[in-house]
Amino acid sequence: MNRFTIVRIPSLKDASNRVATTQGAVLRAGGIDLLDHMKEGLQAPSELVELHAIGGDEGMKLRSMDVHGDGRRRLGALVTLAQIAELEELFEGHQALAQAAAHAATPGIRNAATLGGNLLQRPRCWYYRHVDLVCLKKGGDMCLAQTGDHRYHAILGGGPSYIVHPSSLAGPLVALEATIDVRGVDGTVRTIAIEELFVGPTVDPMREHCLAPGEILLSVTLPVPAPGQRSAHAMAKEKQSQDWPLAEASVRLRMDGGKLRDVRVALGHVAPVPWRSKEAEAALEGQAPSAELFARAAQAATGPAKPLPGNAYKVPLCQGVLRQALHEAAQIPLPE
Amino acid sequence: MADRKQTLRLGFEGHLRKVDVTLPATEATPWDADSKLEIVGTEVPRLDGHLKVSGRAKYTFDVALPGMLWAAVLRSPHPAARIESIDVSKAEGQPGVKAVLAVAKPGDTLRFAGQDVAAVAAERPEQARDALALIEVRYTPLPFVVDTEGAMRDKAPRVHEAPITERRTEGDEPGKAKAGGMQGNVRALPPNERGNVDKALRESDVVHEATYVTQVQTHSALETHGVLVRWDGDQSMTVWASTQGIFSVRDEMAEVFGLAPSKVRVITEYLGGGFGAKFGASAPGSRLGFIAGELSRLARAPVKLMCDRHEEHVCTGNRPDSRQAVALGGRRGKLHAIDVVAHGTAGIGTGAGVGRNAFSLYTRCPNARVRAHDVFTNGGPGTAMRAPGHPQGAFALELALDELAAKMGVDPLKLRLDHDEHPLRSMQLRQGAERFGWDELRKRSAQLRSRNTRVRKGVGVASSLWGDFGRANAAVATCSVLRDGTIELKNGVQDIGGGIPTVIAQVGAEVFARPLSTIRVRYGDSDYGPSVGSGGSTTTSSVTPAVRNACEQARVALQELAAKQLKVPAGEVRWDGDGTAHGGGGSITFGQLCKKIDGEAIVATATRPATYGHEPMAFPGSKFYQIAGAQFAEVEVDTWTGVVRATRVLAVHDCGRVMNPLTLRSQINGGVIQGTSYALMEERVLDGDLGRMLNPNLESYKILGARDVPEIEVMLTEVHTGANNTGAVGIGEPATVPTAAAIACAVYDALGVPVRSLPITPAKVLEALGMIPGRPA
Repeated sequence: MNRFTIVRIPSLKDASNRVATTQGAVLRAGGIDLLDHMKEGLQAPSELVELHAIGGDEGMKLRSMDVHGDGRRRLGALVTLAQIAELEELFEGHQALAQAAAHAATPGIRNAATLGGNLLQRPRCWYYRHVDLVCLKKGGDMCLAQTGDHRYHAILGGGPSYIVHPSSLAGPLVALEATIDVRGVDGTVRTIAIEELFVGPTVDPMREHCLAPGEILLSVTLPVPAPGQRSAHAMAKEKQSQDWPLAEASVRLRMDGGKLRDVRVALGHVAPVPWRSKEAEAALEGQAPSAELFARAAQAATGPAKPLPGNAYKVPLCQGVLRQALHEAAQIPLPE
Repeated sequence: MADRKQTLRLGFEGHLRKVDVTLPATEATPWDADSKLEIVGTEVPRLDGHLKVSGRAKYTFDVALPGMLWAAVLRSPHPAARIESIDVSKAEGQPGVKAVLAVAKPGDTLRFAGQDVAAVAAERPEQARDALALIEVRYTPLPFVVDTEGAMRDKAPRVHEAPITERRTEGDEPGKAKAGGMQGNVRALPPNERGNVDKALRESDVVHEATYVTQVQTHSALETHGVLVRWDGDQSMTVWASTQGIFSVRDEMAEVFGLAPSKVRVITEYLGGGFGAKFGASAPGSRLGFIAGELSRLARAPVKLMCDRHEEHVCTGNRPDSRQAVALGGRRGKLHAIDVVAHGTAGIGTGAGVGRNAFSLYTRCPNARVRAHDVFTNGGPGTAMRAPGHPQGAFALELALDELAAKMGVDPLKLRLDHDEHPLRSMQLRQGAERFGWDELRKRSAQLRSRNTRVRKGVGVASSLWGDFGRANAAVATCSVLRDGTIELKNGVQDIGGGIPTVIAQVGAEVFARPLSTIRVRYGDSDYGPSVGSGGSTTTSSVTPAVRNACEQARVALQELAAKQLKVPAGEVRWDGDGTAHGGGGSITFGQLCKKIDGEAIVATATRPATYGHEPMAFPGSKFYQIAGAQFAEVEVDTWTGVVRATRVLAVHDCGRVMNPLTLRSQINGGVIQGTSYALMEERVLDGDLGRMLNPNLESYKILGARDVPEIEVMLTEVHTGANNTGAVGIGEPATVPTAAAIACAVYDALGVPVRSLPITPAKVLEALGMIPGRPA
């Protein structure tokens, strides 16, 4: 790992300017993914500008969670995964987010990793993470996974890069219709739908989000849940302690007169962006919930899948986790 | 002195009998079934446990010397290349750099990505790594092949131009013969055959044929490989090494640098694991000892070279993979033929055999044949890994056996019992099945299958065999009874983690009837006298008998001293439970007696003789005792996602005399955990086009975590083998031999279809279930 300087600047304006104008300066929140990049030699920043050093009201907002007067829930970008995981019972209708946070990484990482960092982290693709290999994400001409070992790669929306988006919180936030507040380098704050944060590989294979250097993700806001809204998150991993999911599913819905309404489905670790499945939503909307319906909806979700030769197993696996999430959200017991 | 005859009570519960053995005259009378021991066999927590958990134990990684430099190694980025030129001049003179070494020379052929090219020693580790980037090397890339099947094809690039010699270590199973010639990248290992397998397969009324595949596993010890070398003048050196073979490090350093072995001192105070990859000063794929020693010589300063995790995966050894074409013949409900043709790759190295399981376990099967082959590939060399070959062999044989049993309509446990001649293993299988609930659990699996449930459960069983390879005359132990009443026990053995110093102390405490607090064990240093490498499951059986002989001899001298003090003949001295000597109506405490020692101490030095018994059964083809074991596994499979959880393992093991149930169970737990990890997740992934390892870390090279560990029950079946004077035999390797096999059998029981490839990932389970579009099962 290279030598670097820790820079503590108490105001967002100065921190943002520092990063925008200093060669090699980067923002650090939890530093989980940043440290991985530095240890692997993928990144050698000269300065780490500490978001935790932001003071005053700005800093307090970055670190806090609160509820707006209209009932919307705001989560500061520096809120940790551990803090979110603890909120499951409070999160009426937003349980999926707490469940996803609770199952990510390890207790130690969850205590340091932040909401903002989780959304903005880089992919775990083993070609991207290998310091000696030059892949599409690192300015090479091709995605090495496409013809290589892509067991953990995309089955939906792949090409020209086949990474899967690594964030486990992004899926629930897409399903829950969250918005994010971003501070531009000029100090203006804009609010965008969470889905607009993510950049697919056809737009630009070199990045996964749309923030420019110096722009800062300030917070995530969850809308007021509709009466009776429920949500759930499910995932499958090869290893139950500290592993990345092979696929995950987040579902939001409410029951109205025995029918499913306002259904939103997002899939994780199957596509280069958090993948909203409109096919599954269409199959479910207005229908009476049942195990058979969920199986059909799961099939619909993977209808557009174009697996690579070595990852077709993710098609049935993705269906399986979506079915689990639907059963839980609709409170229909899983079959034995 | 002439040998003497001794009658011992040997065997195991329900099968004890009197057996005459012949012992050297100087040998202590062996502990047998009638021996009543007070400290050996009790649960003594490891004496250095508090140092380990509090971080005060100093591992090689932690040792720091004044003026010490850090080394880093430039490694080949190419899986095969010729070196055209190396220019190290730009690295010299960089900040902190004190020595630079070209390890490879122009014209050399590099055969795997990760091979040594050059090295730097600098004041700080990051300075050394930065300097590596300035070494200019011109390579001509050469054709390569990293996958085993690809390497077997006619037109595959040749990995080695000339036949190569085997690199064998103390981790290899003793007694294997040398292999035959090479054909392309394929080299046949010596075959084994009994009966007539081709004829037997023709005679069989049921034949099961299938191919079983296992992956490459890396040792992944928590402490990586590394050495710290300090020259003490021109002709001697001290080496701190993360090694499981102190004396193999000494010998290699002496040979490499032309020193007398006595001039090389090796210290391994604590060791963070080895699993077979840490013999010698070099790692199997990197000349670590030479590099550190030469840089130290050039820089005139101590040099420390520790591998990082990436290096640990690519160049420090691995368990070879295997493709085993198995044919089993059944005739009238019995096993009639076993035929295994195995190919595996140890990368550029040798040793891809598949163990003894197929040939030596079910010996009531009259016809058996195993033909194994090394296939050379451009990958880092394999080396001995915890029961070399056996987990691979067990997986193929035991799963195939279950498939044959299903075809024949017999219970797989019964099929095993019918063909196993080891009386103890037969008992283990029976008792284990009862404790595990085998019959009921098999019925439950069948019910879940018939209801086609989402979540299935299954159970499997597999057997373990290993030998008591305890070595004669290898470990020389010294016992000193000091004037202050301390008993000091010395031997240059390293503690791989099994807890040998604690067991040594127990033996001393037993012989002298003294509290453990009065025993001091000196180990982990070649100055403490010859010892064995921690390989082949031989440490306790090689070291503790030597310790006991030394203690008994010192005790004889102490008894003579007591006799003099009590003014009785030595034969009339009696010792009580706290070491007080009685005789002629008087007594003298141990402390008082020690004060009467003439000089500083009574010192005795001893070793152990060759094995003198092997009750109840010898290891096939040898005079060593055959260690028996069996494991039962239960799994739960989610058929929607293919995720397999190992929920329960019952490990039934024999390790001769149980010296310390705590450290013993700890080793069995470790064997089961490592075996479960091998069964379900560990896999070295090489990219076929790039020849590089894609998961050289502990994130995507997946090792079982806390939530993945099954509930482990350990059942011990003690055996008095008569092999040596403490009765200890090994457990490190037997404990991991059958785990993956039992889990694979359990998955087969759960699903009704086999997964014939390790690791058993969700992808393979979904494929076996026929759930992958366009790919019927």
